[in-house]
Amino acid sequence: MTISRRHFISGMGSLTLLGSPLFNARAASMKKKNFVVVMLRGGMDGLTAIQPNDSKMQKVRPDILVKGVKKLNSDFNIHPRLKSFYECWQDGKASVVHATSIPYTLRSHFDGQNLMESGGHTPYTEKTGWLGRGIEVSALGGLAISLPMPLLLRGNNTLDNFFPTWMSLPNDGDLSVIQSSYSEGSALAEVMNRVRSRPVSMMQRNGDNKAHELAVVAAQELRREDGPRVAVFDIGGFDTHAAQGGEDGAHGECLADFDKVLSTLRHGLGDQFDQTLIVTLTEFGRKVEQNGGYGTEHGYGTAVLMAGGLLKSPQVYADWPGLATKNLFERQDLNATTDARSVYCSAMSACFDIDFKTMQDKAFFGDPLKDLTDQLFKV
Amino acid sequence: MKLDFFRKIGFGLAPDEEIPSDPIAWAERQVEKPAKLTWPGQIPSEQELLDHRAEFVYQDRKVIREKFKNDRKAYEEAKTQLRYKTGERYFPSLETVIRHHAAVKGEAPVFERLWHFWCNHFAISEKDMLDRWNTGGYQREIIRPNMCGNFTDLVKKVTVSWTMIHHLDNTQSVGPNSKWGQNRRKRGEPATVNENHARELLELHTVSPAAGYTQQDVINLAYIMAGWENKWSKKREECNPVDFNAKKHEPGTHEVLGKGYKQRGISSKTKLFDAIEDLCAHPSTRRFIGWKLVRHFVTDDPTDEMIAPLIKAWDETDGDLPSVYKALIKVVYDHTGSHKKFLNPEVWLLQCVRISGTNWPPSPEVMAYDFKSKPRQEARQPSIIMRELGHNLLAPAQPNGWPDTEAEWLSPELLIRRLAASSKFTNDRKYSVFVDYHKVAEKNFDAMDDIKYFLHKAKNVDFYSNPKRMGQALFSSEWMLKV
Repeated sequence: MTISRRHFISGMGSLTLLGSPLFNARAASMKKKNFVVVMLRGGMDGLTAIQPNDSKMQKVRPDILVKGVKKLNSDFNIHPRLKSFYECWQDGKASVVHATSIPYTLRSHFDGQNLMESGGHTPYTEKTGWLGRGIEVSALGGLAISLPMPLLLRGNNTLDNFFPTWMSLPNDGDLSVIQSSYSEGSALAEVMNRVRSRPVSMMQRNGDNKAHELAVVAAQELRREDGPRVAVFDIGGFDTHAAQGGEDGAHGECLADFDKVLSTLRHGLGDQFDQTLIVTLTEFGRKVEQNGGYGTEHGYGTAVLMAGGLLKSPQVYADWPGLATKNLFERQDLNATTDARSVYCSAMSACFDIDFKTMQDKAFFGDPLKDLTDQLFKV
Repeated sequence: MKLDFFRKIGFGLAPDEEIPSDPIAWAERQVEKPAKLTWPGQIPSEQELLDHRAEFVYQDRKVIREKFKNDRKAYEEAKTQLRYKTGERYFPSLETVIRHHAAVKGEAPVFERLWHFWCNHFAISEKDMLDRWNTGGYQREIIRPNMCGNFTDLVKKVTVSWTMIHHLDNTQSVGPNSKWGQNRRKRGEPATVNENHARELLELHTVSPAAGYTQQDVINLAYIMAGWENKWSKKREECNPVDFNAKKHEPGTHEVLGKGYKQRGISSKTKLFDAIEDLCAHPSTRRFIGWKLVRHFVTDDPTDEMIAPLIKAWDETDGDLPSVYKALIKVVYDHTGSHKKFLNPEVWLLQCVRISGTNWPPSPEVMAYDFKSKPRQEARQPSIIMRELGHNLLAPAQPNGWPDTEAEWLSPELLIRRLAASSKFTNDRKYSVFVDYHKVAEKNFDAMDDIKYFLHKAKNVDFYSNPKRMGQALFSSEWMLKV
């Protein structure tokens, strides 16, 4: 099963880049900061990535407990496959928010992924994403560079997506005739305008479009002073109901995929890594107890992993609820004591230089979120 | 006459096809019983494909890993040979060809559209190589023959199919109080159910979240399902027929949506079928399916009024699918012209092919395969094209299948791919044919006059008048993308 899951993961990679300040007055007057969101689909297990020092773990996860972990502090250890992440930690450029989740507790991937991207409360009701709305309020619109446009980014009608094909496009004269059939002002016409204004350099394909290969392009683009400011990655395969395993198991492989994206970005960004914030996003965590197939079931509380020079200090930020059965959500899951949207709202506020309250109102419907900017980020 | 109807409900009319004089009767005739597949080449059986998978997984997991553990290069070479021998790189493309052939050459395009719909409703997502050997056979042998009967029977067949059980992990389920569960717990091992399949049976396949089920309902349904497994054996791993293993089944009566399911007769396996019958008869199910059908064919935003005739047909026949399809056909006809639907990449491509007579899919000669070497580029082309269009048929990312709205299918990159494919299919000599586009317009479009003017512009876009440009422009036009 491990082999095929690997295949699944590598096939899933996609990347979205956006926010060219070229045409944008506000962006031009700001110091360039980069914001990268890595979506971990399937339910990332915070207890595997960042393990609490708690004897209960051994008891409820005898067959899948990760050995060879590295110590972060007296309370938490990190999975050995998060190698670059751990290096960032040692350099003061990584942090973790633990016992956190989006406010969704019903354990469905589809509803959960819809909500992690929309930032709302009822699945399939919001047509836009929190990051799209955050970009909108920041007036950082412009060029975007992925195959399907993720819901996370919708809400900003100046977005563009990029995921190069080997086929070639008709020439612009032909495109102009084709466009004459598109209803004026329609979404179709709007998208065609963006296609036709695309530079030739964006029409070329190199490599296989895997997540870490796209990370090379992402780093190049983000690094440019006049390049995009936001990138979104999509990594799948975290739904490990079986063979979740220890160090070399399916969940470890997925974490390693994330780690590869991180190391590629860090390397490619160079000095710009100090002006960058990378955060993870997942639909839910996994149950504390292992199941019969050496995997775990859908849970609730998880962790957000963050890296980059815009972090204040290496820390595991958590109002830790503990793993005693009475403290678990529905007596089975790590509880979430921090709304993960507080982290994302604070992160956008820090990266886009917009006050927290405005971001809260515009991107998260004025929901009661906590301003964590001072605790987590350099402002 | 509403010519657009033939594309709204089917794939349009081929150059040699007559315009049916009674479109509704034409469509209704196609949905009474399953149409035969038209592919003239080999069609492998689900069992044959499962045998290929069995060989692959056993050799891969148990033999070559051990044999070449100290020689990585030899291991990789052995694995490549194994891929060829079991058709791992070949079958997904063949399945695409079988499907496309029926759509563009067959005489039941309405049935084919509905088949595509159900394949996506009971989707198998990209997981554990199911797309290589299993998903296609499942679609042909589990869904296709059962989609012109009662909805309940279709759900029963799908739920206990090898592919769906593997896809949603039901083999992993062990009832905590089952015989196995008790033994495991005695040894200090955990024994729990895997909720995945139960949840999707409720959420995606039948009642949908609108029914208001709870987490406890999901767990209870998982108890009811526990024991349905793909039998494991040493030499074939999981690749054995579906079986009900009473030793893993959670004993007792469990309630789902307020009704308890208890054993009738000597086997507890009937509990699942009893539960499925009630789920399928639930009012949320007919509403959910009706809404999804209307959304697929008519508009992204179905109204209650559009869904009502489908629900009524379901009410009157207890879920007889052909009756529901006939109600749908009338709704589609009535809203042709007034409501447009942005087509997904596959339907769009197949319409471009059928109305123009484009040379697609590749022939049985091109698709011939020796199971010894890498399949030829041309034979892999069907998979490659679908992937490039962003619609890798057998491998949607999630169990909820491919999206079905304009917002999800319309982006610069996805539009670029359609534009590029339009160009490829009209310019590449492998596919292009001589086409009288004026006749195509007269047969397939209510806006035929606007289209003729448009074709004239496309042909003469620059100094060199080029008739091939008409096809490229028509394929990429709004008339083709939306209907």
